Formats: sequence, structure tokens, C-alpha cells
Amino acid sequence: MKDFDVIVIGAGHAGCEAALASARLGCSTLLLATNLDTVAFLACNPSIGGTAKGQIVKEIDALGGEMAINADKSILQMRMLNRGKGPAVYSPRAQVDKNVYHSVMKQTIENTPNLYLRQGEAVNIDIKQNGEFSVTTAVNLQYSAKAVVLCCGVYLRSKTIVGKCIRESGPNGFANAQYLSDSLQKLGFTLRRFKTGTPARVRMKSIDLQKTSEQCGEADVRPFSYVTKSIPATKRSCYLTYSTEKTKEIILQNKHLAPIYNGSINGTGPRYCPSIEDKVVRFADKERHQIFLEPESEDTCEFYVQGASSSMPAEVQEQIYHSIEGLENVEIMRDAYAIEYDCIDATELDATLMSKKIKGMFFAGQINGTSGYEEAAGQGIVAGINAERFVHKKSPFTLRRDNSYIGVLIDDITTKETVEPYRMMTSRAEYRLVLRQDNADMRLTELGREIGLVDDTRYEKFLYKKQQIETATKELFTVVSPKIYSPLFDRKNEVVNNAGLTLDEMLRRPNITAKDIQTLGYLKNVTDEVLEEIEIESKYRGYIEKEKAVIAQAAKLENKALPAKIDYMSIDGLRIEARQKLNKIRPANLGQAGRISGVSPADIQILIVYLAQRGSK
Amino acid sequence: MNTTIVALSTARGRSAIAVVRMSGDDAINIAKKFFEPFPKNPNMLKVGVLHTERFDEHAMCVYFSAPHSYTGENTVEFHCHGGTAVCQAVIEQCIKNGAVPAQNGEFSKRAFINGKQNLTNAEGIIEMIDAETASAAKAGANLLENKLGKKVIDLQNVLLDTLSACEAALDYPEEDLELPTVAGTQIKLKEVEKEIQNLISTATLGKVAKYGINVAIVGAPNVGKSSLLNALLGTERAIVSDIQGTTRDTLSESVNYKDIKFNFIDTAGIRESSDVVEQEGVRRAQKAADSADVVLHITDNPTDRSVYPTVRPQIRVFNKSDLFVEPPCCADSLIVSAKSGNVDIIKSTIYEMFSAGEIENSDLLITNERHLSCLNQAKNQIEQAIASCSNSTLDIVSSAIKQVWETLGEITGSTAQEDIIDRIYSKFCLGK
Repeated sequence: MKDFDVIVIGAGHAGCEAALASARLGCSTLLLATNLDTVAFLACNPSIGGTAKGQIVKEIDALGGEMAINADKSILQMRMLNRGKGPAVYSPRAQVDKNVYHSVMKQTIENTPNLYLRQGEAVNIDIKQNGEFSVTTAVNLQYSAKAVVLCCGVYLRSKTIVGKCIRESGPNGFANAQYLSDSLQKLGFTLRRFKTGTPARVRMKSIDLQKTSEQCGEADVRPFSYVTKSIPATKRSCYLTYSTEKTKEIILQNKHLAPIYNGSINGTGPRYCPSIEDKVVRFADKERHQIFLEPESEDTCEFYVQGASSSMPAEVQEQIYHSIEGLENVEIMRDAYAIEYDCIDATELDATLMSKKIKGMFFAGQINGTSGYEEAAGQGIVAGINAERFVHKKSPFTLRRDNSYIGVLIDDITTKETVEPYRMMTSRAEYRLVLRQDNADMRLTELGREIGLVDDTRYEKFLYKKQQIETATKELFTVVSPKIYSPLFDRKNEVVNNAGLTLDEMLRRPNITAKDIQTLGYLKNVTDEVLEEIEIESKYRGYIEKEKAVIAQAAKLENKALPAKIDYMSIDGLRIEARQKLNKIRPANLGQAGRISGVSPADIQILIVYLAQRGSK
Repeated sequence: MNTTIVALSTARGRSAIAVVRMSGDDAINIAKKFFEPFPKNPNMLKVGVLHTERFDEHAMCVYFSAPHSYTGENTVEFHCHGGTAVCQAVIEQCIKNGAVPAQNGEFSKRAFINGKQNLTNAEGIIEMIDAETASAAKAGANLLENKLGKKVIDLQNVLLDTLSACEAALDYPEEDLELPTVAGTQIKLKEVEKEIQNLISTATLGKVAKYGINVAIVGAPNVGKSSLLNALLGTERAIVSDIQGTTRDTLSESVNYKDIKFNFIDTAGIRESSDVVEQEGVRRAQKAADSADVVLHITDNPTDRSVYPTVRPQIRVFNKSDLFVEPPCCADSLIVSAKSGNVDIIKSTIYEMFSAGEIENSDLLITNERHLSCLNQAKNQIEQAIASCSNSTLDIVSSAIKQVWETLGEITGSTAQEDIIDRIYSKFCLGK
């Protein structure tokens, strides 16, 4: 038996972040994976970031995590989504090389002190008398640790489905984890069955690119990581095409063969990741659906067919793909499939992602009912940090809805009972104007530093930027005479009135940018990154301040802790539904209680009263 | 900064003294706008004048600075004369200057979240919440509010459609969705704005339905005001005599007419007097007039064209028509004889004036101050949202629409974030 401080089970996107955080913070850490080729494997699209997800990647980076750096090292092209729709929703998204992504992450892990990467399928977890954990693998080796972090992804008792062919398998033909589900059930966890899917991979040379439109990356997008100096220009293009009327016909003719419609899939699938058959059936009047062809790697000519995931029989899949414009003669290299798997109910976890029942047992990633690499990694770093803090008996580390998307994510999944895999969306964040991709470092680097994950290089870079912002913000109150600014204003169609304006007032004009102001000789030596930041802060100040006022108001409820041992069933006045929900979820504070579906504002009033009475006794 | 809330702290209804309390960051600033002289120091009760739009009230005022107050926030209390009309005017004055009506138990809730829980009168809150639920159970009494709920849910639905279109565009930039257009969004928002305005304008009628109409009876001594009151009530409620100044204090009594409550207030005759008691009576008469919904200006002189000095709407009533030789001068006046008892024309005229007949035909009326305040707030916010469509980016537009939706949700109690996401997926085909 070998002893560790922390054992992380699963080396996907959650597991890698958890293991790296734990090891970097000084815990001897074992990272177990069923197959070492699955380390940071991009099982679905070869892309990182996107709306809300790009923000999460930047948050992981600010805390001192790995995903952003790893993505920057494997970039094929990068874009900034939502330009023109406002800074709250600017979202960076990259196509990455899935082979490079895997191998770079694996190397980073291999080179990290305190971290032991080991192939092995965990089959059983025992709690020893001293409260420590003993993990047994399929080859009957045993490892013990003070804390475990489960990051099993979609591997628990997973099945892949292609028409009638249902296999006991993990994604991409990797072996699944057959036994750990039983062990979790024995420990008292409720298991649920969720479903997701992936499209086929096709041979690029067989695509008629003439019929598609090429999508290149953009040149002026900053890297994901605040410490990456630069990223390459577009290495590989994507291609956009569409399904046709014929696609629809084929699907409708073969609907009876679709496992999601003939009952052979039971798991709950996500609405935001519908298969092509699902889209056609549910949105029958839509003439065509968009299909993106994305490169998988520089080493291969396999392309990912975004928008066409399916669990139809392989021969029907072929017909469907051939009906897509430009794919008439496409050669499918790997079939599309659906996958069904076990996951836990994350409302059994607290905000550190530790089980409320079993102290020292953490869960992160798809096992918690989420979907997406970024969502998994965001949970991974929080679970890893907390596993270390648990081992070293430090206070728990939690993120909040008002400081990060990761905070929103964890609060949502531990509070609301999700009925489908949870995907992060900017719509889920009530403080979207504050949680931007450009200021993730300002929001979280200081926290990362306190925890111990932010090294000197990153911290100095952060302090320099912060200093620049402060200096530039002071300079914004400089008054400029009309003589100086009117040529610029005339050029930009802004009205000149004969009064002096501060730089800040100039910036609030819709057509004036911080770069423009720099051409007048102000804000010298300020980096582009900082210019962008102060421009957003000036232009949106009114809205941002409104949002901050709401945050301050909400914080009062968030700060009212609810004792762990309240018996909600015995509180007079609470409606029955509220009593049951509160007893099940056991929220940490009044703010969280108010977000539970089925708990009304009146119930919160009753709780306030109850707490007051308790306090005065 | 937090919002400043206001409510009547003493029991509703008739009482000698009432306390109106305001709490929040801005409470002291708000109070300073209409109470003078404002107390120099906290915790000191100061006599002064409270200006409202309708009348000046002699009252006392005390303030407490945060955190040394019941709620732990800046708090101001006005100790004023009791009675619904006076208290309502004081509360309205606070609202006009930036306060919002408190929700049930909100003072105590704030006391709690600001760490003042040992003072919380916990049982009181439960009672209030129970009371609200109990009255909600009486479907009849709350029919109007239930209908309001349905109407507001309809409006929320329209907003949710607009909102989900914006949010889908923000969260799925690469799907071939049709982007919401400025004009299209504005049309929808303007529809909602109009409906909100319609609801707000029912509040006057709603007040009539709930509280009735306050009618002050004023005029010179001995024109028959008390006789008229008795005739209107159909009982000998007021003492009547030929001696000028028989009525010294105001006297109010209610009577129902076609299901509407009329609260008549008889007052002392207005004249110059050196009698201190009578002077006070005259002052009270003036105040009754200024706080009434309508003033009956009584005269027994058929050539009297005078107008009673008040900002409130007034009706001139020629009393003692049995003694008139010629018809009185002014066509727009009412002619009655209290003595003969035929005074229903007064009630029917007021009834018409307030369109009270429409209550029966109205689908719904706003009768609750909190609802009215939410609607007014929603109206402001939707105006901002409409403006933002043409001068802001979509992230701001969407937030602005969401605010309106949430404010309306304070009436219906439904603003679950999931509603937006559900709507996005039910309306749009999205995803990889």
C-alpha cells in the first residue's frame, strides 16, 4: 500500500487541474487514469473556449491553473466571438490541436514535482477507521490518501450507442470504468444517468471545399493566458456548410431507427447539444442547419463535423453526412455516437465540491452532471485546491457568483437540481458586466496568490497591469481643451461643444476609443490591454456601478450563514415543498437558499425569523 | 447604496397618532426635503412642519443614524396625526422623493441582515406573512389581485420572448439565428410599456374600490353643512342648530352608495374668529379639504360664485333650494335641499366624477401600493430599455429588459433564471 496526501481519479480536464493544483500546493498526489492516452483528451470538439467558457478558461488561468497555457500551446486558430455585442459577452474561442493538447498536458504533469501519474482503473474506495481513504485498482493495487478527488468524466458504466450497436465502452473506444459506480452507491451516493453525443470524424481530402466557406482565425486576439506572450496566426482553417432538404428527408424516413426516439437511450441528454436527428424533428420548419468542419490536429486530416452528432445506425449516418453540402462523397473515418453514463447529484456537495456526508471526498467535472471541458477544468482547480486545504487543515476556498463564472457554475450545480448536463452560458451569470474575459486577472489573481498557485512571474505581471490601470484611471480626469480634441471629434462625427472635456468624458462618446485618445498624446506608454480595460470601464461605468450596487445588496443575504444542523421539517410557517428542498440541499447561507427552486421569498422571510429567534435564545 | 423603504409602523385605520417609518441609506436625505426644521441631532424628537403636495402637517420627526437604529440603517420616523388620508399622503411624499414601499416584514428583515436580530420582533413578521396568505386564500377579496397576477405574467411572457431572443444571440454567436432588430425589439417593448401604463392608470379607480372616496364638506358657517351630512347619511349623526359655529371639530362618517364607500367629512364653518377653539376647528377644516379626494363647497347664497381655496377638485353645492326665489347663478353647480332630504344627486355626481361605475366592468384594478410601486418602477425601466435598443450594445439591452422582467416578477413572484434558458431552448435550434 502506498500513501499519498491526495488521490485524483481520472485524468481528463477536471482531473488534470485538480492534480496539478494539489501537487503544486505541496501535497503528494497520485493521478490515476484508466488509460494514460486519455490524459486531457478532447473527446468531443477540438476547441477550447466560446461564450462563457472562454471566460472560465481565463479565470482558471488567473487562479494559476493550466488550461489556458495548455490551449495557447496547441492553438490552430483563435477568434473573439460576439464582437459588437458588448464587452460583457466578448468570448475568446480557439481551435486546438487535440494531439498536442494531450501531449503537452501530459508532459506538464510528468514534470510536476509531487505528482505521480499512474495507469489504473479505480474499482473501489474504502473509508478507513482513521477517516482516510483506500483506493483499490483493477489489478488489485491499493493506494491510500487523506483526500480523494473523483473526476471520472463520462466513464462510469458508460455505454456508447450507434444504432442498435450498444457497447460497454468509454468515449472513442477507450475502456470504461465498470466497478466504481457500485462503490459510490455503497458509500451512499445517488447515481443518475446522463447522455451526450459526438459527431463523426471525416477525411478532409474527401470534402468538396468549394461548396463551403472558409473560416480563418483572427489576428488580433490575445492569448487565453495572461502569461503567454503570443500565439501563432491561423495554422488551420475551419469550413462552414449546411445540411439540406435531403438531410431532413433521410432523418424523417429513418426516425424509427434513432435510439433517442425508439427508447434504447434512457439517459437525459442536453438540450444545447442536440443530435442532428433531434434538431430536425424538434425544429421541423427550419430549412437547413449549420455545420462547421473543424480540424482535429496538424498530424491528421481528420475533421470534426460540428452540428451533426448522431446515434443513428452507421449506414444511416453515412446517408445523412452525404446529404450535407460539400460532403456528398465524404469518407467517414470514425462514427458518430451517443454515450450514456453515471453521474452523481451535485446538490450532495458543498461549495468546495466536497461531499457533505463524507469529508475529504471531492468531485469535479462531468461526474457532477456538467458538460464541457472548461466547466470540468474550472471545477477541477477548485476541488484540487480544497483537497490540499483539507489535507493541511486550512480554511475552505470558495468562489462566488459575483467574482467568477466558476462561482456561478458551482453555486448552480450544488443548489439547483439539474435535470440535464449543465452547460455554462453567459445568461446564467447575473453579474455579466463585472465578470468579463478581459478582467479575470483583476478579479482572481490576488486570490490565486493567497492560495499559493500564482507564481512570481504571473504576480509581477498582474501588479504591473494593475498599476498601469490605476495610473491611467487617474489620468482620465485630465481636462482637454476643445482646440486639442475637436479635430478628432470632427473626424469621428462627434459633436464638439466649446467646453473642455476630461478624457473620461471623451471616452464615453460612442465613437471615441482609448486608442484615439492616445493619438492626442495622452495615456502614453499604456499597453493595449490596459487601454481596452479602461475604455470598457469608462463606457459602461453607469451599468457596472448599478450591477455592483445589486451585488452589495445581495451580499448581505450571502453572508448570513445557515447552520448545518437545522431541521427544516420542524420550522413552522415553511411550506412543505420548501422544507423538503431545504432539508435535502442544506444551503450554506440565505442567498443560496433563495436560489433553490421551490423556495419562495416568503420562505426566506420565515427562515430569517427563525434564525433571529434562534439567535435571541 | 441600498433602497430606502417606507411604511406605516402603527396600525392601519383611525387613531390619534400614527408613526411612518423610513429606513435605508437615503432616509435622512429624503426626509430633509420635506420636513423642517429637520432635527439637528439623532435620537431627538423635533416638532416641525411636514410638507406634502396637498397640505402641511404639524408633526414630529426623529432620526437614527446607522448603525444605531432598529434596522441598523439610517432611519427616520414621522409622528403625525392618525387617519388613512394623512398617513397615505406622508407615505406618498416619501415615495415621491425616492423611497419605495416596504414589503411585509422588510424592516425586521433588514434588522436581521444588519446584525440587529436581538431586537427582531420575530412573531410579528410571521403573523404578517400569515395574514397575507390568509387573505390570499379568500379568493373573492383578492380576485382583483389574482387577475393582476395573470396580466403581469402575460407581460412577463412577452418580455421573456424578447429577452430569450437577445440571450440566444449572445450565447450562440455562431448559430445562424436571426439577430433581434432594434425596431422589432422596440415594438414589443412599447406594447408592454403601454400595458404597464394602462395598469398604472387603473390605480385611481383601484383606490376608490378599496378605500372609497373621501369627501370634505366645507363652507361658511350656517350654510347647512351638518344638515347635509345627516341627509347624505340618512341619520341624525351631526348636531344641527341655527347657532353659527355649532360644528367645531371635523366629523367623519361613511355610507355606501352603489357599493362604493363614501367617507363624508363635516367641518367647522370657515370664518374669522378670535375663539381659539374655533380657530383650530377652521384649521382642521382646511386640512380636511386639502386631503380629501373631492371637496363639496356648500353655500346658501344663490349668487355666490366664490371658489373654495384648495388644490383638490371641488363641487359647488347650493343648499336650501327650498328658500330660493330664482334659480342660482352657476350652471355647473348642484342644487339641493338638505331639509327636503333629496341629496342623492351629490352622490351620483361624485360617483360619475370618479367613474366608479367602471369598477364593476373593470377586469382588474391596482389596489395595492406595492404593486403600484413595482409597476411605476417597471415603467421607468422599460423606458430605459427602449432607449437602450438604439444606443447600446446587445449585452446592455438584454440586461435592461431583464430588469423590467424581474421587477414585474416581484408582483408575480416568478423570476427564475431557468425560465430564460428554457425559453431559449424551446424557441431556437441551438448547439453543436
